[in-house]
Amino acid sequence: MPPSIHPVDLVATLRQKNLTPAIIFLTSRRACDEAMQAFERSQVVLPKARQEQIAGVLTQVTAQFPSIAEHPLIGTVQRIGVAAHHAGHLPSWKIAVEELMRTGSLDAVFATTTLAAGVDFPARTVVVTQSSIRKARDFTDLTASEIQQLAGRAGRRGKDLVGFAVITPSPYIDLTVLTKGLTGQPEAIHSQFVISYPMVLNLLKAHPREQIQSILAKSFAQFQLNQRTAVLETKLDGLRAEMEPFGPRVCSDWITQWQIFDQARKRKKPRGPAARQESPDVAARLNFLTPGRVIGLVRGRGIILRQYRSKGQHAPMVTLLREGGALNECPASIVTQVFDRTYECEETSTYPWTTPQTLEHLTHQLAELPPRLPILPILIHPEEDVPLDSSIIHTLGDFPCPSCPSRQACQRDFPRASRVRQEIQRHTKSIQALQTSLWHRFQERIDVLERFGYLNATAQLTTDGEWARLIRIDHSLLITELIRAEAFGAIDPPLLAAIMASIAHDDDRPGSFPRGSAGLVTLLFQVRKLAESLMPHEEPPMLRADVAALTERWVADQTLTWIGLARLTTMAEGDMFRLFARTIEFLSQLKTLKGTHPSLAESADRAIAAMRRGVLEELP
Amino acid sequence: MTTHELERLLLQQPVSLLHRLARGRISRHFRSGKRKLIDLLLHASAENRPGLESDLIALIEEQTRRQPAAPAEKLPQAQARPRAVAFLPTAPRPHKTEDHGHHEPPVSLHEWLSGIGVPPAQPFVPDAWQVDALARLAETDVVVSVPTGSGKTYVAIEATARAMRENRTVIYTSPLKALSNTKFTEFSRLFGPDQVGILTGDRRENAQASLLIMTTEILRNLLYDAAGGEIDVRLDTLGLVIMDESQYLADPERGVVWEETLIFCPSQARLLLLSASIGNPQDIADWLTAIRPTPCSLIRHTKRSVPLRAGYLHPNEKLTPLFRTTGIPYGQPHLLHPESKRLFAEYEEETGPSRSR
Ligand SMILES: Nc1ncnc2c1ncn2[C@@H]1O[C@H](COP(=O)(O)OP(=O)(O)OP(=O)(O)O)[C@@H](O)[C@H]1O
Ligand SMILES: [Mg+2]
Repeated sequence: MPPSIHPVDLVATLRQKNLTPAIIFLTSRRACDEAMQAFERSQVVLPKARQEQIAGVLTQVTAQFPSIAEHPLIGTVQRIGVAAHHAGHLPSWKIAVEELMRTGSLDAVFATTTLAAGVDFPARTVVVTQSSIRKARDFTDLTASEIQQLAGRAGRRGKDLVGFAVITPSPYIDLTVLTKGLTGQPEAIHSQFVISYPMVLNLLKAHPREQIQSILAKSFAQFQLNQRTAVLETKLDGLRAEMEPFGPRVCSDWITQWQIFDQARKRKKPRGPAARQESPDVAARLNFLTPGRVIGLVRGRGIILRQYRSKGQHAPMVTLLREGGALNECPASIVTQVFDRTYECEETSTYPWTTPQTLEHLTHQLAELPPRLPILPILIHPEEDVPLDSSIIHTLGDFPCPSCPSRQACQRDFPRASRVRQEIQRHTKSIQALQTSLWHRFQERIDVLERFGYLNATAQLTTDGEWARLIRIDHSLLITELIRAEAFGAIDPPLLAAIMASIAHDDDRPGSFPRGSAGLVTLLFQVRKLAESLMPHEEPPMLRADVAALTERWVADQTLTWIGLARLTTMAEGDMFRLFARTIEFLSQLKTLKGTHPSLAESADRAIAAMRRGVLEELP
Repeated sequence: MTTHELERLLLQQPVSLLHRLARGRISRHFRSGKRKLIDLLLHASAENRPGLESDLIALIEEQTRRQPAAPAEKLPQAQARPRAVAFLPTAPRPHKTEDHGHHEPPVSLHEWLSGIGVPPAQPFVPDAWQVDALARLAETDVVVSVPTGSGKTYVAIEATARAMRENRTVIYTSPLKALSNTKFTEFSRLFGPDQVGILTGDRRENAQASLLIMTTEILRNLLYDAAGGEIDVRLDTLGLVIMDESQYLADPERGVVWEETLIFCPSQARLLLLSASIGNPQDIADWLTAIRPTPCSLIRHTKRSVPLRAGYLHPNEKLTPLFRTTGIPYGQPHLLHPESKRLFAEYEEETGPSRSR
């Protein structure tokens, strides 16, 4: 059996079952192109009438986008009724394929999962061959939303009574990811709010610093932070209620008092040499291994009935109720997870350390536990072992506790009281952080902009800040710093376009390219040095010399055709188009600096005019 | 159905179903008891009762499918079901053959493939949710979260036409230049080329037109310019801002632009957010209600307009249904068809066990 179905057989099967037109999602552009080549080699030929239909649609689209006429696959598509559609193609070609699909002229289209939402590109059937996609460098499982977006293209309203999502396996496919995605709820979305330099400058241009916090409070980010705050606040209410019986006693802060007394007492009591040798993580867990606590083991789970120290080694030990009802005495280190779940556990002084009723109840509870339990995050304090100041030990006799009437009660309550108190403090801190985090990040940005001289000490825009706020693209700090360093003095349009291209391009697909001019190489070197010096404040761009050189060529040599340019590089046409479109976008931001930097704006304007020719002129 | 009927129907449902219904509607619903949950549900959906009702019906139907042979003793619930469906004419009953539970034999390939074809041409009748969205938009901002291919564009077009009749400027934003171009062509054909303009990074065509199409970044920049005192397009007459594909709010790189735009969107303009199905559309509506002078309604439903079926195609060209049921068994990923299960196990066997990446 082959690892996956042959594309020609796949389409033949779909045709035979009346499941066309279909969109077949493949893992890469290359897979799409190879599928097309497989069709070119095959004997598939459409009937004359259908070929004519396709030709008709293509002629229409070509009238609007002449570059389509030059597409090498035009004949194949017409002959076989199958096409590819991915980011390596020119937008005009993608429009042609979309139009062919809309008119129902094709049997199948091979596409990558990047096929954007909203592009009107429906079919009767969608074929899915993968359960993960490459994001950044890594493969990630498709989310339920993504799977439903892909599958959702099946079944055209008004053209189909029913749509089909067909899964065909390829290596690395995980069927459960897909079945869960198809049957599940789409994920909740989360705010991706980040505070950028242009945002800070533009906000401070329009509002005084005192108002910023209330503006940030209007973000969806803060809305979602507030939701988290609300959860924590409910928890806090519960903890406060739990704290109620532990109010002031003989001394008002008896918890701290007892903590110190207890520590001093423990230190004084001589222990075996091996005492307190447990690792910090075991030590940190010990506080939580109290009777009634549910814990995880390498295999299975259990409930703590008692914690004690072994006689000889003084090692921390626990008595455990295991699943099935067995009782074990084991070292505390056997515990792998502490769950956020405890049961009432009446303690007794003899085996089995609790009442028979409780034991039976706990055994039952243990069997009924859901498969997943929240894990208690336990902070590990490495410094916990720092010896107490010896003076405390010497003055142990001065503590009022030993003779205090409340001693018994305090001794019994303080482990729980101090745990609850710690949790209250932790939650209070988290809430504070949730409420102020955006403002802190904003202030960090203000500090940087002030240091660079875009803002003055009262967070108002300086002269430089006034124009710098118009640069609202990625790497804005690098671009404005380059302008201030006069790196662009009386720069030529080709060179300016090349530098902007190297800043704008963020794709690391390898390829071979022409070489840049000597001037470009020198300037790029300076840009790179500046970008590196800005590293603590802004992530440097890739600054690829090869894409810069390609752009320089295109702007400098006006006789160069698009096809001619494409021959100079292994970059896909779609990538070239995107590179230039983004470069034009960056250049047009420089154009807005007419008032303060007329020669730079002029050069940017000329660069844009020079770039807009051939296919780059086809779309608005 | 009346509030009383809805409440009674809710009361008859198991609490687990209510929790599923509450997802995305009520934050931290799992903390509430049944009675409280029902109150919260009724309260939270005051703005969008049809959405709640259709989701409720869908869940009940799903449940019925799951336990079709529910014993007759459990009557109170069973009785409610057929009635519940009759309450809601807008939720068409799925194709008859879609009704299968795991007690019934798995669907046959023949049955699964039946019913393919082209529906007879019908005059255009807007869906209830489309009508509802437009009605709401007269009073409030609106978030629409419905499955892909449901017909969000119709809402955008009707809302635009209405605003234009009132001499208001409309801005339509999309996340992608390609999409902006398509919409530019489509809207120019509909409203006339002189009525429609497009703004991109460095081009402005017909920038004084009453319908302007742009990417969200361009609108964000316009709003910053307006706040900084340099007004550029006719923001004073702006009556409607449509943001298509607004699930991009969650895009790691660009999502922030949607937030900035929504925060600074002029208060006199209505907002219409069009989004694919997302898990928490109520959060978006609640957020907008919290930060804008007008409240924001949510129009949401999860039912696809064309029913979807799932299949499995083996590398040896054998095709089988993926699930035991004809339609997709929502909420029950384990209901695999025995044949697809067997074939996939065979596939895994043969392609080797070391299939980790
Ligand atoms: N009420 C209706 N009755 C019949 N067909 C409709 C109705 N509303 C919309 N349609 C059709 O449904 C199809 C899909 O509509 P549209 O492109 O607006 O979907 P969408 O919700 O924007 O989807 P996407 O998430 O892909 O952007 C169109 O062909 C449209 O004409
Ligand atoms: Mg749409």
